[in-house]
Amino acid sequence: MTFAVSVGGRRVECAAGQTLLDACLRAGVWMPNSCNQGTCGTCKLTVLSGEVDHGASPLDTLTVEERGAGLALACQARPLGDVTVGGGAEGRTTHPLRDLSATVLEVADIARDTRRVLLGLAEPLAFEAGQYVELVVPGSGARRQYSLANTADEDKVLELHVRRVPGGVATDGWLFAGLAAGDTVSATGPLGDFHLPPETEDDGGPMVLIGGGTGLAPLVGIARTALRRQPGRQVLLYHGVRGAADLYDLERLGELAEEHRGFEFVPVLSEEPDPAYRGGFPTDAFVEDVGSARGWSGWLCGPPPMVEAGVKAFKRRRMAPRHIHREKFTPADALG
Amino acid sequence: MTTTERPDLTWLNDVTMTELERNPYQAYERLRAEAPLAYVPVLGSYVASTAEVCREVATSPDFEAVITPAGGRTFGHPAIIGVNGDIHADLRSMVEPALQPVEVDRWIEDLVRPIARRYLERFENDGRAELVAQYCEPVSVRSLGDLLGLQDVDSDKLREWFAKLSRSFTNAAVDENGEFANPEGFAEGDQAKAEIRAIVDPLIDRWIEHPDDSAISHWLHDGMPPGQTRDREYIYPTIYVYLLGAMQEPGHGMASTLVGLFSRPEQLEEVVDDPALIPRAISEGLRWTSPIWSATARISTKPVTIAGVDLPEGTPVMLSYGSANHDTGQYEAPSTYDLHRPPLPHLAFGAGNHACAGIYFANHVMRIALEELFEAIPNLERDTREGVEFWGWGFRGPTSLHVTWEV
Repeated sequence: MTFAVSVGGRRVECAAGQTLLDACLRAGVWMPNSCNQGTCGTCKLTVLSGEVDHGASPLDTLTVEERGAGLALACQARPLGDVTVGGGAEGRTTHPLRDLSATVLEVADIARDTRRVLLGLAEPLAFEAGQYVELVVPGSGARRQYSLANTADEDKVLELHVRRVPGGVATDGWLFAGLAAGDTVSATGPLGDFHLPPETEDDGGPMVLIGGGTGLAPLVGIARTALRRQPGRQVLLYHGVRGAADLYDLERLGELAEEHRGFEFVPVLSEEPDPAYRGGFPTDAFVEDVGSARGWSGWLCGPPPMVEAGVKAFKRRRMAPRHIHREKFTPADALG
Repeated sequence: MTTTERPDLTWLNDVTMTELERNPYQAYERLRAEAPLAYVPVLGSYVASTAEVCREVATSPDFEAVITPAGGRTFGHPAIIGVNGDIHADLRSMVEPALQPVEVDRWIEDLVRPIARRYLERFENDGRAELVAQYCEPVSVRSLGDLLGLQDVDSDKLREWFAKLSRSFTNAAVDENGEFANPEGFAEGDQAKAEIRAIVDPLIDRWIEHPDDSAISHWLHDGMPPGQTRDREYIYPTIYVYLLGAMQEPGHGMASTLVGLFSRPEQLEEVVDDPALIPRAISEGLRWTSPIWSATARISTKPVTIAGVDLPEGTPVMLSYGSANHDTGQYEAPSTYDLHRPPLPHLAFGAGNHACAGIYFANHVMRIALEELFEAIPNLERDTREGVEFWGWGFRGPTSLHVTWEV
C-alpha cells in the first residue's frame, strides 16, 4: 500500500512504513535533514493534513506540544494515509536517495586502527562532496553512516575512511574482519546537508575545516571541491588526532598544498607529542592562527566535543554562525 | 445580607509611583493574589492585573477604549489608543495599510537590515558597547523614522523625544483629590511636542502639496476626497503615539530579550547558533519584561461586575499587561526568562480591537536587529562589571546594557 505525500506543490509516493524523509529524498524532493535518527530536529515539518505515526521520534526533539501543533520529524514520521506537509521543502531539488549495490575494490590500512575502503558502483552516484552513505552491516541488519571523501565527479568509486572500534559490530565484526576486495556491500545514499553551497552561491571566501580522526573524510572532498572552484582561495584544514600514528593522507594533502598556495594542511596531535607536529587540540590551533574569521566559513566533522569546541572557537573569532557547518550525525566511531 | 470576605487592601495606600517605576512586580504580584481588579489610589484608577481579567476587560463589549489621564494630558485628542467608533475606525484605516504583513514583507528587509549594519559598523570592532543607546534604540527609531518620513530627524533627537513623551505619559500619580500630583512632570513632554511641531509642520506642508510614499504622507491623503487631506490637528495625537510607543518599544523589546538571554547563557548560545530561534526568543522577552507594561486603559460603558467587583458605568480600568504576563496561573516561574517554556500566547501586544497595530512590523524590526547583532558579534557577553537596571511602570525595559566581546 502506498500513500501520497504532497509537499511544496509536488506529490510523492510513500509506502506504508516508509518515512516521509525517505520518500521525499528518493523522489528528488529536498528537505532539510541531518542525523536521520530523530535527534537533531533539522527535518521538523508541519503536517498540514492527514495523519502520521511519529514512530521513534524522541520527546526531546519533538515535544508533546509540538506534536499537538501538527509538527513531525520527517525522518521518523510514517504516513497513515495521504498527507500534505509544509514548512520543510522549499522547492529545491536534490540528488535522489538510492539503494546502492557496491563491490569492494580495495581495503587498505592507512593509519593506526584506520582503514580506507573503496567501493565500486555499477552506476555513477550523484552527490555533493561532504555527504554520506549508510552501509548495511551483513547479517546484523545494523546500519552505519560513513562520509564520502570524494569530490562530486568521483562518482563511480566511493572512498570511505573507517576507524576501528574494539568489539564494534560494523568494524571488528566486519570492516576490520573478513571484508575483502570483491565483496558486495549494500548501501543507501547520498544523505546529509554537510556540503558546500551551490557554485553560484559560493562567494569564494576563506574557509577553515577541522576534522577529528576519520572526520577528515568529508573535509577532503569539500576542500578539494572548494579549491577547484576557486584555486586561489584560502583554505585551512586542521586534522586532530591523538598521535602521529593516527595521521594519514599526508602526502596527498601535501601535494594539494603545493598546487594551491592558499591551502594549508595542519595536523595537530593531542596526546602523543611529536616534534614534527603541532600539539594540543585543533580548535585551539585555529584560535592561535587566525585573528579574525569575519567573512569565513567553518566546517567541522568529528566527535561531538570537538565539534562543540569548534563552534565556540569559530564564534570567538567572530565567524557568523550561519556560516558554521557541522556534521551532526553520531560518528560511526561511537557506534562501532 | 451576604458578607463576602474581602482582603484588606489598605497596603495599596502606601504604594508610590517611584516604587512602581523601580519595580512594579511585587505590588502587582500581591494584587494578582488578593484583588485582580482593584482601585489603586496613587494611580487614581482601577487596575486589572491578571491575564484573565486583563483579557476580559480588553475584549469586553461593555468596555471601550479610554486614554489614561496622564496619557491624555500628553497626547491630546483624538489619539488612536483612546478613541472609539468612527474616529477609531478611521485612524486604524489610516495607519493599518503600511503595517499589513504582506506590505511589511515587501520592504522590511531593505529598510531595517542596512540600518542595523550601519549602527553595528560604528562599534563592532571596539570590543565593548552599551547596547541600549548604541544599538537597540537607534535601530528602532531609525527604522520607524524612515518609514514615517522623518529621514532628516536624527536618531538621537527621536530618542530624546520618545524619552520625554514617555516620562510625561506615565506621570500618572494623583493626589487625594484626583489631581496630578506632579504637574511640572508634563513640562518636558510639552517641550518635546513644541519641537516636534516645529519640525513636522513644514514636512506636513510639503506632503500636502507633494505626497510621497512616507507613512505620514499617506495618513494625510489616503481615503480622502481628491484635493483634501486629513487635518493635522486630527492626526498629531496619533503621531505622538508613534513617536512615543512605536519608537521606544522595539528597542525595549530587543534589550529585554538580550538581558533575558544573558541570564540563560546556554539559551543565548542556542539562539546565536540558530537564528531561526530569534522570533521565539523575542516573544519570551516580551512576555518576561513587557515593554508596554501598563500604558493602556478601558472604560465601562454600562454598570458591570468584573472579578467580583461592581463597577458603575464610566469607570476606567488600567490594563497591566506586564503583570498579566507574569500570572502564575498561566506561566510557571514567570519571572524567569525561558526560551523553551510552552509558547502560550501572551498579552504584550494587548487584546481586543485596540491590540497593537504594529505587531508584525515591530517583531520584524527586533528580529532583523538581533540577527545582524549575533551575525556580527557571535561572541557577545554581558559586561558583568556593570549592573543591569530595569525602569518603568507604564513602559519598561533595561536602562542600559553593557557588553563585551573579543576582537
